[in-house]
Amino acid sequence: MDASIVLEHLYLVAMTVIFSVIVGLPIGVLAYLKPSVRKIVLWSVELLQTIPALALLGLIIIALGPGKMTVITGLVLYSLLPIVHNTFVGLESVDSGIKEAGKGMGLTQLDRLISVEIPLAFPMIFTGIRIATVTTVGVAVFATSVGGGGLGKVIYQGIRTQNMNLIVSGTVSLMIMAVLFDVLMIWINRRLAKGTRNQAF
Amino acid sequence: MIRFENVNKKYGNSVILDDLNFNIEAGEFVVLIGPSGCGKTTTLKSINRLIKPDQGKIFVNGQEISQVNPVKLRRKIGYVIQQIGLFPNMTIEQNIGVVPKRLKYDKKEIQKITRDLMEMVDMSYEEYAHKYPSELSGGQQQRIGVLRALAASPPIVLMDEPFGALDPMTRATLQKEIANLHKKLKKTIVFVTHDMNEALDLADKIVFMEHGKIVQMATPEEMLANPASPLIRDFMRKSALAADTLNLTAADFLSANVISVQKKKSIRECTDLMARHHIDSLVIKNEDQTYAGVVTIKDIKKHGKSSGVIGEIEPYQNITSDILENAKDSFDKLYSSGDNYVVVLNNDQTIAGIITKTSMATAMADTLWGDMQ
Amino acid sequence: MSFFETYGDRLITAFQIHLFYVLTSVVIGFVIALLLGILLSRVPQYAKVVMPLLSVFQTIPGIVFIGILFLYLGMIPATVISALAVYAIFPILKNTYTGLLDVKKEYIEAAKGCGMTPLQTLIEVELPLASPSIITGLRMSTIYTVSWAVLAAMIGLGGLGEFIYIGIASNNDQLILAGAIPSAIMAIILSLLIDVLRRAVVPKGIRSVK
Repeated sequence: MDASIVLEHLYLVAMTVIFSVIVGLPIGVLAYLKPSVRKIVLWSVELLQTIPALALLGLIIIALGPGKMTVITGLVLYSLLPIVHNTFVGLESVDSGIKEAGKGMGLTQLDRLISVEIPLAFPMIFTGIRIATVTTVGVAVFATSVGGGGLGKVIYQGIRTQNMNLIVSGTVSLMIMAVLFDVLMIWINRRLAKGTRNQAF
Repeated sequence: MIRFENVNKKYGNSVILDDLNFNIEAGEFVVLIGPSGCGKTTTLKSINRLIKPDQGKIFVNGQEISQVNPVKLRRKIGYVIQQIGLFPNMTIEQNIGVVPKRLKYDKKEIQKITRDLMEMVDMSYEEYAHKYPSELSGGQQQRIGVLRALAASPPIVLMDEPFGALDPMTRATLQKEIANLHKKLKKTIVFVTHDMNEALDLADKIVFMEHGKIVQMATPEEMLANPASPLIRDFMRKSALAADTLNLTAADFLSANVISVQKKKSIRECTDLMARHHIDSLVIKNEDQTYAGVVTIKDIKKHGKSSGVIGEIEPYQNITSDILENAKDSFDKLYSSGDNYVVVLNNDQTIAGIITKTSMATAMADTLWGDMQ
Repeated sequence: MSFFETYGDRLITAFQIHLFYVLTSVVIGFVIALLLGILLSRVPQYAKVVMPLLSVFQTIPGIVFIGILFLYLGMIPATVISALAVYAIFPILKNTYTGLLDVKKEYIEAAKGCGMTPLQTLIEVELPLASPSIITGLRMSTIYTVSWAVLAAMIGLGGLGEFIYIGIASNNDQLILAGAIPSAIMAIILSLLIDVLRRAVVPKGIRSVK
């Protein structure tokens, strides 16, 4: 096992997270702004989670063929739930007094969203991104089944060849990666939360 | 009934209870009071062993409580807390029945107890017994909190600032109810508060604590007459002041500096007067100086002509107060009417002055903090 | 001729096996998690160390557990069930622990003041108040387990994963769907059943409070 596999895994995770945010954040905002589609949106992202990861990848492979695109698409669909959910809940739970103050000052809906509501909801949204990231580190082991490489390759190989060393080294790298992301993102979130507090008062 | 002997308690280096010794007789309503951190709540909670003293002995009904199983002890001592603490997962009846159920009362009996207790505080069993705490108002919840403490008819009831979180109106009602319950049921009640009025109203004996020690333990009358320390006097003074405001009348709050005119004054003169004083209304007097009403600048504009006299305009009947009226009633009128001020009238219906929100605030500050001049 | 004529029987068997794995491992996981959660909530000072450790272990992918257990235990259902049960534990444990810890102190003090024993306080006050959180954990665990149980097929132990693995290997979308759709349906039905359970378990008085 060498560093390139770790990097490959990291690449999958990073791309997944970036695209999940690009897709998930607007969906969460939509669910917040449009009560009419809220239920269906939240229900759909939850439904996506009930499909086994492996099956989801298997279905996408049919459309996109094997490779990294398939893996990333599958993982993005899979990590939408925490991001959409937390974006929605975060925006929803911004203090109604603050929202009203924004309205009272004559800010437009978009203005309020960008300059008040999203910044205040951001710690919650970021928590969603963190959960998605850590989960993706784990779920990305399935990548290898659809030709996406990463640490899953090492682990599968270890299991197939009954090589404990391979299994352990793959797993430990994975755990370290997950824990590092977790700790780092908790730390970032704390700093950010401090920032929003200062802005708010 | 309850006796403390050399009770000490420390948290780290700070002394919470400093060699406490006192005695509470059966049937007494004892109120523990003092500044925050004085040890009153710790004292209360060591009676039902929620807090364990470091040294000393506490006797309840002749038994030293460290020798009694805490669960058994607590079932014989009712307990009411400020946060109410009704179990949200249980109905009102289940909440009241918590202790009786554990003492193996049968179902019928528990139901009867619940019904009787609820009757005592004028809450209908049919309407409320099967509701959940979240469906009740704060005041109703705390009534049930008190009833829960009484359900197994414990000889002793402990209350930890039970009414501290309630609004003043509800608090007053519940104080009255608890006084009645005490009279009726003859329980020994130990009650913690930081509100001297509450202590004076309810207590047979007040225990004033500071720095973990008892500064004075006396009847309310005795404490009022001979406060044992400057701090107690201070507590008394504040509460006396608060009580005094209840005796204030409209006269104490009015501003006599009111611009009034007779009906025969010309409209032009009136508008000049208003402009000069930066006001938008005038109080109008009849020929005999009695109050006729109020004319505003709007009324004058509506009238259209600036010739003629002010008496031609039908005056607005602003709210009025009698000069001897309780000040609070005048305030209520002021706030509920929507008028900008209350016109205060002397006995002979002449104008004494007006109460505005500003004059009210100024006078209030005077009463509380001394003369503002 | 049609897909169901060819695979119908195998699909039903696979569904049953899959469901069996899920139910046994969730039940086992639930019991262990509940007990462990209660235990940890009694000693929060240790829990502060134990909980983060557990969440580190949670980052180990299911494949690894199944893979390692497979090497030691061999190709028996116990391998799958114990690996899945370990996974089912985490969300329930976490939610039981935080649910119990979130019970407001005033209720516990009131319970004590009413002369409840610690066990009575737990059963009659703390667990009912924590039940919404516990059930949420159970729901999460169940959905995950349905998804992870696909891995049973990786070591030849059947279940709906069989269709998915074969489908991926042979690039047969019908087979993948035949594995994916029933397992999604299983996850949805089980989570609906848990919602019914929630209604039965969560006391009426706290439903609006959440």
